[in-house]
Amino acid sequence: MVAGDKSDPADVLIIGGGPAGYVCALRAAQNGRSVTLIERDRLGGVCLNEGCIPSKQLAVFAAAKAGAERLAAAGMPAFAGAPDMRAFQKSRAATIATLVEGVAALLAAAGVNTVAGNAWFVGRTRVCVELGEESVRYFDFKDVVIATGSSAVELEGLPFDGDRVVEPSRALGWQFVPENLLVAGDDYVALELAVAYARLGSRVTLVTKSERLLPDFDLDISAAAQRGAKATGITVRLSEDPAPHAGGAERVIVSTARRPNLEQLQLGAAGIAPSTTQLVVDDHLRIDRHVFAIGDVTGGLPLAHRAMAQGRVAGDVLAGKPAAMDVHALPRAVFAEPEMAAVGSTEAAAGEVGVEVDVGRFPLGALGRAVAESAVSGFAKLVFARQSGMVIGAHLAGPRATELIAEMALAIEMGATAEDIALTVHAHPTFAESLMEAAEVAVGRPVHIRLPKR
Amino acid sequence: MPHYEFRLPDIGEGLAEAEVAKWLVSVGDRVAEDQAVVEMMTDKASVELPAPGAGVVVEQRAAEGDVVKTGAVLYVIDTDAQVGVAQAAHETSGAKSPATVGTAPPEAGGVLAPPAVRKLARELGVDLGQVKGTGPGGRISAEDVQGHVAGAARPRAVAAEPGGNRLRLRGVQKRMAETMTLSARTIPHVTGFHELDAAEFSQLVTKLRQAAQARGKRFPFDTLLVRAAALALRRHPIFNASLDEERGEIVMHDDVNVGVATATGDGLIVPVVKKADKLSLDDLALEVERVTAAARAGKSALTDLQGGTFTISNTGAWRGGLGTSLIRPAELAIVGFGQIEDRAVVREGRVVARPVMPMSVTFDHRLIDGEQGLKFGLTLRGLIEDPSQLAK
Repeated sequence: MVAGDKSDPADVLIIGGGPAGYVCALRAAQNGRSVTLIERDRLGGVCLNEGCIPSKQLAVFAAAKAGAERLAAAGMPAFAGAPDMRAFQKSRAATIATLVEGVAALLAAAGVNTVAGNAWFVGRTRVCVELGEESVRYFDFKDVVIATGSSAVELEGLPFDGDRVVEPSRALGWQFVPENLLVAGDDYVALELAVAYARLGSRVTLVTKSERLLPDFDLDISAAAQRGAKATGITVRLSEDPAPHAGGAERVIVSTARRPNLEQLQLGAAGIAPSTTQLVVDDHLRIDRHVFAIGDVTGGLPLAHRAMAQGRVAGDVLAGKPAAMDVHALPRAVFAEPEMAAVGSTEAAAGEVGVEVDVGRFPLGALGRAVAESAVSGFAKLVFARQSGMVIGAHLAGPRATELIAEMALAIEMGATAEDIALTVHAHPTFAESLMEAAEVAVGRPVHIRLPKR
Repeated sequence: MPHYEFRLPDIGEGLAEAEVAKWLVSVGDRVAEDQAVVEMMTDKASVELPAPGAGVVVEQRAAEGDVVKTGAVLYVIDTDAQVGVAQAAHETSGAKSPATVGTAPPEAGGVLAPPAVRKLARELGVDLGQVKGTGPGGRISAEDVQGHVAGAARPRAVAAEPGGNRLRLRGVQKRMAETMTLSARTIPHVTGFHELDAAEFSQLVTKLRQAAQARGKRFPFDTLLVRAAALALRRHPIFNASLDEERGEIVMHDDVNVGVATATGDGLIVPVVKKADKLSLDDLALEVERVTAAARAGKSALTDLQGGTFTISNTGAWRGGLGTSLIRPAELAIVGFGQIEDRAVVREGRVVARPVMPMSVTFDHRLIDGEQGLKFGLTLRGLIEDPSQLAK
């Protein structure tokens, strides 16, 4: 930094306006701190602009088409014709615009000073923000929050070319449905895009080096994911290198790992041990007394709801409140065929740490609502700690699974037992009943299925 | 070091916790080394804790009225405005208070408490591992956490009626409420009344006070009352005892430590004059003056508030008449004195005006019977009506 550089004071400076950063900004401002938020692109980050929100819009769009086709068998006139992707893209853009404007309005109403530009550290308490070509501003902060998110990582042998071989976010903006699509990856992003485009009409091949899809989920969920992908017409190839399959594909989506956006921050200038992998934070989201990190830069699962939870905690810690990341249940949602969701521990993970479990598994084939909707391939699988009877995990496949999982997250946080869930009346006929039924299985007295004699 | 977590030190003899009475600085304030940062209230003592070094207070981990455990982080002070390296943060984060961080779920050896209760525990600085849950399966409720803080398992009574100006019960007032409630609930009080001829006593006090003033010293009125009580206690050791209910034992104290009930703006405080029977009259006067002045200023040292074996309560200086007193658990008796006033009394068949001091002797009838109570009162009466022994 050059002597005489003009700088502005910043009480709290947040770098990155994604779900972590903007939530932190709102909470810190709510707590009376004066907040400056730096965003290099668009408020809302990957989640709002090119991740969660638009990908769900695409998934719902594609699912609606599949649903309409299914209705033909149930007595409704068949849906005909190809989807109008240009119309879809217009509605997608409108959705994003609405939400981005909403975030901007919230920030403005909270008195957050939003600055557009690229930021990096130039000293222990100073950042430089590049506003445009040859225009920079300096801020001297009291506290800084790093919330720069993450970026897609290329797969060896399949570098992104911005056109044919792309990262997932690009595939959400296509104005067409590729005839022949290769999806490389085993995670929920790869699966969601594969299912969406298969439903929209693409011939999809899903290839991964992994032995199963969704490898960090329960085995039953992986099996459901594979069955669902095949039922959607996707060719699934496991334990194979995707690169050799790319040749004949019109388009290739690569979804592997994500890498925290740290390079350009010049962390060394701030006295922070430079890292390209992740920033290690304590339960208060601190790297150091005045340096916080939230969201994908902290490693762990790159999930928007985790980032937002961290943003809330950091916003409270910044105001001197005794807040901490104290989350027992972090739900995960997969918008594929079928919908899948999980929270808490798997059977296998519980076994590894020596916790004895009881499992209650209820097939949707025995659920009235599922039969009525011809959606009988899913299940609800609940994992209970044997000693306490408390629910420690839930693994759901089937319609509304991504909504039902919230009940199980609450159950885990509250320490509900199998009896608690079994004795809670659930509305009939709903998919949520499957949770109550699974709990009844766990306590050994299900009425809608027969337990195998032991 | 970029920052320093100031933990509540043991400010009294093995005290487990203390209450934040008042923050003397705010977050963001710069403090000098040894500048008082926070006023803590412990078992009726108020103690100002100085800053360990110069710097900026960046975080207060407890609010006024919160009870903080000894060893828990009270506040964080930035002793260097510059940001240190990441490594330093990880070193310090390893030593953080368990109450302020994330908890483990029950199946991982953690606690069974809903999120809102975990948040409350963080706010109150409570380690949930130390809280006994009263819910099903040992689930910890908000009331359990509050009860843990209050040191009592019973839930707090909540007034149903809104309205009025509500003030939080805390500090000296809270201790007074707890002590007096315990006293009234557990001790069967019996009080005997006496009227003492205080003519010679008054003259003696006046004489000693003038002598002290001539030497530039003060001579508190209560000095001779403490001395009288100390001498009487030596002759009636059961009045200098306490009841250990838990073990079913009567503890006969070797030392005669006389508490002097002292009104403060915030409530009642009872500083203690230790070994009151062993001090010379000059030393006794000094000690009475020292402990009562500190108490009135709210600056009592914790040691001056502990160890009492008996209490006197003199309302005379406030023109108080005679009333009954509540015994301080686990003491067994308390003596009250009223204002000395000229009264019409009969001497040798004639009505004459004499200065009379009313006195009440209140004792715990579980251990002291009426006869013992009367005899103790008569001993005190003798020592005060003929104060020749007091000035020795």
